[in-house]
Amino acid sequence: MFFRSLSALTIGAGLFLTGCQREKRDIRPSPTRLAVYGDAAKESALRPGGPINPQPVVTNPYNSSGYDISEGQRLFSWYNCNGCHANGGGAIGPPLIKQQWIYGGEPANIFDTIIKGRPNGMPAWGGRIPEYQVWQIVAYVRSMNGQQPTSATPTRPDTIETNPQTLRNRTSGETK
Amino acid sequence: MTSYGRAAKLLCFAAFTDALAFCATDAQSVVNPVGPQSGKIAGLWWFFFWLLGAIFLLVMVAALWTLTRPNRGLAQEPLEGTHQVSQETESRATRVVTGASIATVVILFVLIVASVSTGKGLAELPYKKNTLTIEVMGTQWWWNITYQNSDSSLVFTTANEIHIPTGRPVQIRGLSNDVIHSFWVPNLHGKADFIPSRVNTEWIQADKPGVYRGQCAEFCGLQHAHMIIYVIAETPENFRKWYEHQLQPAGQPSDPTTQRGQQVFMNNACVYCHQIRGTDAAGQNGPDLTHFGSRLGIAANTVPNTPGNLGGWIADPQSTKPGNHMATVAVNSADMQPLINYLESLK
Amino acid sequence: MSCFFLRPTKVLLRACPFLFSFLVVPTSFAQIQNQPDDGQWVMAAKNHASTRYSTLNQITTENVASLKLAWTFSTGTLKGQEAAPLVVNNTMYVVTPFPNLLYALDLTKPGAPLKWMYQPAIEPASQGVACCDVVNRGAAYYKGRIYYNLLDVQTVAVDANTGKEIWRTKLGDINKGESMTMAPIVAKGVVIVGNSGGEFGVRGWLAGVDAETGKVKWRAYATGPDKDVLIGSNFKPFYKMDQGTDLGMKTWPADTWKIGGASAWSWISYDPDLDLFYYGTSNPSPWNPEQRLGSNKWSSTLFARRPETGEASWAYQMNPHDIHDYDGVNENVLLDLTINGRARKVLAHPDRNGHMYIIDRATGEVISAEKYAYSNTSVAVDLKTGELKLNPTKATGYNTVRDACPAPPGSKDWQPSSFSPRTGYLYLPHNNLCYESQAVQANYIAGTPFVGMNVRMYAGPGGNRGIMSAWDPATAKTVWSTDEMFPVWSGTVVTAGDVVFYGTMDGWFKALDARNGKPLWKFKVGSGIIGQPVTYKGPDGKQYVAVLSGVGGWSGAVVSGGLNGVDGTGALGFVNAMSDLGKYTTKGGMLYVFSLP
Repeated sequence: MFFRSLSALTIGAGLFLTGCQREKRDIRPSPTRLAVYGDAAKESALRPGGPINPQPVVTNPYNSSGYDISEGQRLFSWYNCNGCHANGGGAIGPPLIKQQWIYGGEPANIFDTIIKGRPNGMPAWGGRIPEYQVWQIVAYVRSMNGQQPTSATPTRPDTIETNPQTLRNRTSGETK
Repeated sequence: MTSYGRAAKLLCFAAFTDALAFCATDAQSVVNPVGPQSGKIAGLWWFFFWLLGAIFLLVMVAALWTLTRPNRGLAQEPLEGTHQVSQETESRATRVVTGASIATVVILFVLIVASVSTGKGLAELPYKKNTLTIEVMGTQWWWNITYQNSDSSLVFTTANEIHIPTGRPVQIRGLSNDVIHSFWVPNLHGKADFIPSRVNTEWIQADKPGVYRGQCAEFCGLQHAHMIIYVIAETPENFRKWYEHQLQPAGQPSDPTTQRGQQVFMNNACVYCHQIRGTDAAGQNGPDLTHFGSRLGIAANTVPNTPGNLGGWIADPQSTKPGNHMATVAVNSADMQPLINYLESLK
Repeated sequence: MSCFFLRPTKVLLRACPFLFSFLVVPTSFAQIQNQPDDGQWVMAAKNHASTRYSTLNQITTENVASLKLAWTFSTGTLKGQEAAPLVVNNTMYVVTPFPNLLYALDLTKPGAPLKWMYQPAIEPASQGVACCDVVNRGAAYYKGRIYYNLLDVQTVAVDANTGKEIWRTKLGDINKGESMTMAPIVAKGVVIVGNSGGEFGVRGWLAGVDAETGKVKWRAYATGPDKDVLIGSNFKPFYKMDQGTDLGMKTWPADTWKIGGASAWSWISYDPDLDLFYYGTSNPSPWNPEQRLGSNKWSSTLFARRPETGEASWAYQMNPHDIHDYDGVNENVLLDLTINGRARKVLAHPDRNGHMYIIDRATGEVISAEKYAYSNTSVAVDLKTGELKLNPTKATGYNTVRDACPAPPGSKDWQPSSFSPRTGYLYLPHNNLCYESQAVQANYIAGTPFVGMNVRMYAGPGGNRGIMSAWDPATAKTVWSTDEMFPVWSGTVVTAGDVVFYGTMDGWFKALDARNGKPLWKFKVGSGIIGQPVTYKGPDGKQYVAVLSGVGGWSGAVVSGGLNGVDGTGALGFVNAMSDLGKYTTKGGMLYVFSLP
């Protein structure tokens, strides 16, 4: 009789303990799970509850470096960006010389666009292109809109260009 | 003699023996021609060397003799307050100068004739029959090579290394993808500039087998000095075997390590720039790697093709060849050896 | 020099000034182009012969001036509208560009209300691999079902009454750069579809899908070994240059055929008597010809195949080693003509390269190939060897070439022509564009463009970028033509009332007299027209004309894609020629239906 109740107790205890594991609740989350992704590249101007001050900004480490903008120009054609975006005017993809950016035109947004892709046809390049090259491409794309110092901006494309007007317009960000 | 003098003497001696030593090696030397084109050029060079060397010697001897001949003193020439040179001396001097001038003109004329006839001879070499055409595109800072053929299925692409059969004229069609480069294999011919938007052709022919080193001879940017090309001349039979092998796509890797290596290659940015026929990688920005394992060097022969060098190259291309266009791709340590094994297996 | 006489029963014989004469007569017996017409529109090309001719004659040259708008319908999409609306059993079916919605409109009720809408599950990322706007050229009706293609390389069958999806078959991979934009045809129970992607280094193919089950019955690749191209013992190409084994591999450098393009993205015609269907393949990849030495078979090639097995009967390569992006995909209008006293079954193919090929559709022999538009990139077609003699001064490559005509869209792109057996004319909506180019090394990354050419297009001689003309196969000459400011990128329809309809990119829907080109009527719609007009008999017995408006396509990409005209190389060079389009039209997506009051 004793042994029967002992084994029943043991089995009961085992079941109870496994139940404990299953029913575990993390009512008070540990501090690491409290992260609010505040510095993600925002794509919307709507901030429920009002703006957060100061707003952290992700910057491009290669801003203003002439060599890196020029490398960005090289990578722009090496990685076939010009196949869909032409020389900034757009083709299959939207133009990159523009005022209105669909997914945001800040360096962090463009970085996200390149790495993650976008739903309506922008390929996801993350996973292969090293990060420093993505920043170089970001710097070049921004230079097409006159957002880099003209002293650092490439004055001509890598191919034979026959229309100087196009070059001037490329760095002004104007739309025709 | 002062210490400066001693130093100068030693330097001259060193330079002289170095030059001799260099002349004595076969590699990348204009004075070691292996084909009819470079033979004609070398012949012209030696002709100039000996003729002008003889003249140099003559002039040096004459100068030394002039400096060291006994001074005849003022008494020899009566100077009656006129400071006039005697008629005899005058006429002798005139004769000598006239003779030397005429000799100079004649020698220059001989040199022109030699030079023009060499050029004519180069142009008239029998190029039409049995030629092999290789298109070489210079690009910063490597050589993109396409073997041409009227049968397009025999056309393939490789990089940085040309194999040619001995005894057969080869036409090099030169293009450039970006700036002006210059193709120079001294053992085979002179320099041929590769200019963007143009095609320049040069004919080479190797009459004996060997490995002939050449390099870019027109400053083209940061790594101009590391843009080396090997022209490997083989017997026609060996060449045919090499050609047929090059047409084949890369084989499928057989053991788990090289399979993992292929996977690492396909999973990384490598496929954006490199082509390995037989896989889905068909990038054209960088050299074709289909038969990379059988090539002599890496990065336009900057370093020899060994597994150690290859690992160092992939891990950090910028320290081997600063400023070159290969991306620094982070391959983790566990994947590096399989990747090296795979690339070296592409024979 | 050949010369053709036309001698139908109604038109007088015209004297021929040339020495050699060939008598061309549209035969009065068994004419494929005179098929019975029930007033419906069951496939994009109207019939398998692709004549786009309707026997409806309620609208005539006399009364078309009073044509009025009957009703409209908004598709809710704003990309290029290239489809032809179908009309079957008093229901109109409209396919939209991405997201490829299918609408069924009930024509029996006033205002043609929506019966149902089918919304397919489609991958949005496919918009990133469509070279020339996310268009769709229409559907096909067969035995109670509507068949059409989705941009992400799927073919669907939808019940024509209920709008329920019956089957959906995935045929390719957008990650290889493939997409689908073409209108299928159904022949002998086989739905014939082909991929797009000649600008992406795809491997082009055409497939036969079982209409009942959706299973792939056969797939004919356009490059590679004969067994992949479905070339067997019954393959009899007419010309020596197309004869040989495994030419789909041998005419390419090592392994480049695997990314060689040659997709089948446009029109297919079918001859039920010969049991052969006809289609053309696209340009080879990349555009840069220096990267693919050889004649690059079977790109820019016309094929004749059997619908049940896909096996090839004959092939003719119109542009070997194409250097101008002259796709071979334009329509093949099947005609029965009498040439030189012999009844010939031919196809009329207005190619991108500016030549109108009249080809014996049983054997593949080129009977004539005169130019129907200005071109300086080629001289002539040698009829003995079938070879196209090119102009060497316009050869593209790493050198800059200027003023080469026609530009890559060709003298005529996909925009389909129509044929009237009453006048005997082909009505050609086409382009007048020239271009300059410079090849650059193209890099292949799967799923991204593989082109390698910097291009700028501009207007051809005369300054007008488009032409609407009538071509007489009998004399091989243009009979009349009308200049248009922009390329005439819409389809055409011609009726027994001798009226031909077409639309312009600045938004005018026009009717001309089919006999002499006199303008009879026009209507300004909301956006430029690049779609295919159709005409049908409504349930009330009246004749209606319907067309989609909504500019886009390759020519209209500057508007539909919101491109920046500052960069002339945009849209593969088209932006340079079309940067003013935005002044004349904005985006749209409206169906317009017209009838007499």
